[in-house]
Amino acid sequence: MFDFVKIRDSLIGGDIEKTEALTADALEAGVPAKEILDKGLIPGLDEVGRRFQNGEYFFPELLVAGEAVKKALALLRPELMKSGSATTGKYVIGTVKGDIHDIGKNIVIMMLEGNGWEVTDLGIDVPTKTFVKEVRKKEYQILGMSALLTTTIPRLSETIEALKKEGLRDRVKIMVGGVSVTRGYAEQIGADGYGRDAVEAVAVAKKLIGK
Amino acid sequence: MNGLERMRKALKREEPDQVPHFELLIDPKVRNAIKPGLSNEDFHEYLDLDGIGLGDKNNAHRYLLLNKTQKLYRDQWGAIVKFSTESAGIPQEPAIKSEADFDHYAMPDPDEDWRYDNLRKAIKRFKGERAIFCGVTDVFDIVKESFLGDVVMFISMIRNPELVKRISQAVLEYQLRYIKNCIEVGADFFFINGDYATTSGPMVSPKMASEFLMPYLKAIADCVHENESLLAKHSDGMLWPLFDQIVQTGVDAIHPIDPEAGMDMGEAKAKYGGKVCLMGNIDCGPLLTWGTPEEVHQATKECIRKGGKGGGLICMSSNSIHSGVKPGNYLAMVEAIRKYGTYPLEQHLENLVVAGSRERP
Repeated sequence: MFDFVKIRDSLIGGDIEKTEALTADALEAGVPAKEILDKGLIPGLDEVGRRFQNGEYFFPELLVAGEAVKKALALLRPELMKSGSATTGKYVIGTVKGDIHDIGKNIVIMMLEGNGWEVTDLGIDVPTKTFVKEVRKKEYQILGMSALLTTTIPRLSETIEALKKEGLRDRVKIMVGGVSVTRGYAEQIGADGYGRDAVEAVAVAKKLIGK
Repeated sequence: MNGLERMRKALKREEPDQVPHFELLIDPKVRNAIKPGLSNEDFHEYLDLDGIGLGDKNNAHRYLLLNKTQKLYRDQWGAIVKFSTESAGIPQEPAIKSEADFDHYAMPDPDEDWRYDNLRKAIKRFKGERAIFCGVTDVFDIVKESFLGDVVMFISMIRNPELVKRISQAVLEYQLRYIKNCIEVGADFFFINGDYATTSGPMVSPKMASEFLMPYLKAIADCVHENESLLAKHSDGMLWPLFDQIVQTGVDAIHPIDPEAGMDMGEAKAKYGGKVCLMGNIDCGPLLTWGTPEEVHQATKECIRKGGKGGGLICMSSNSIHSGVKPGNYLAMVEAIRKYGTYPLEQHLENLVVAGSRERP
């Protein structure tokens, strides 16, 4: 039986090459890709996330783990595609119009990708109409919007209202985040989820699509 | 006592006649709503602010227009940055994409004379009366934002620390030269911008901070002090885990004791008031944007009660007076500083917090 703890620990230790090599070894030994993901990589990333939220790990450790999982997932993807579980889901994300801060968004993207999400990054300063256009494509399970400035927070509710007006609100789950956004505000404007940090955002995203 | 004298006293943790106030940036929308038609300098005189800030990015850096409709520019470090309605540009594409790029990299020249034109104007108008603060972007911030990009920077701190240090050293040398030039031209004080933390906590561990952040901040503090000037370090976010280290670099003041990150002015005063001047901490997030003048008045009174005793407080917003700040709220803040900030504070306030002096770890 394959020792998944080794994959988990190499990820927690931030060893990108070792994580990649152990993933390749497991595949070669005939371990199903889904099992490598579920028993090795995801528990490792969950532990990194826990340490981040406890203040033991910081952005560098979190992002190196995210990078390690991305590399391992690239090896697993062909196998996962065969079994129809190549991605966790499709996520479209952007920082609202007028707001050009993107550090938080970039870290959320990295963590989503590490958790198997296929992410479309619309970038910063994204107009409401662009969010609406993307949602109209029907490709995404979740729309994530970030606003850091108090001046741009109203754009979050404007986008939700615009989606309602276009009859598109039910096509996606909507998540919001950013330094001045609170859980209460997210509820008030009718968002489906809120993430205080990247780790919480990933957990909420999974929950929203029932995974 | 004039603004300069007041500010110097506060930075040295001595008691001035009045808690000083200035902002590094006051958005033109807010200025115009309060008193239309005034230049930034006129506005400082109109409100009789104790100091004026000149950020390096807005006054001493060159930007090359790349795409007008998309508001894309190349910054002086080589990154592509995008501007929005707020004044600071955010890099879209970093200057360095591989280590080899940096081998051939040519740093901009801090000695170019035009960089100091706006500083000279401020000096001509305010020297000796109001404190002239030069904003200097933190080395960590420049490397993260313009040279490598945030994700690559954080990963490189573990995977390629030598590259991060090489770039940081080169940026430091630029900044030290810039600081010396500003002092030669006549700047009074320095304000080192660039966040080390988010609202949840530091971006990097205290151990990494001691390796990648503090040596460069200390070199800047030493340079400023060798040239007989004083400096403040700005960082948004929850800074407590790094506070001892920042104080140890020798900076004279720390801004803004971020209320949105849950940092309390009273706690800062009680622990560090004997070591460092405290600046801030009027919330420019929800409070100044959506609050009422009464709430702002109350928060300002509390800030002075907690941080003002014995000097060592410069009352300011927690970042800047950005375009979303209600003009009436900014005025309420300034009025409250003048009302409650006249020394001795005991004449207006009770239960003042006493400065403590945490032992160096």
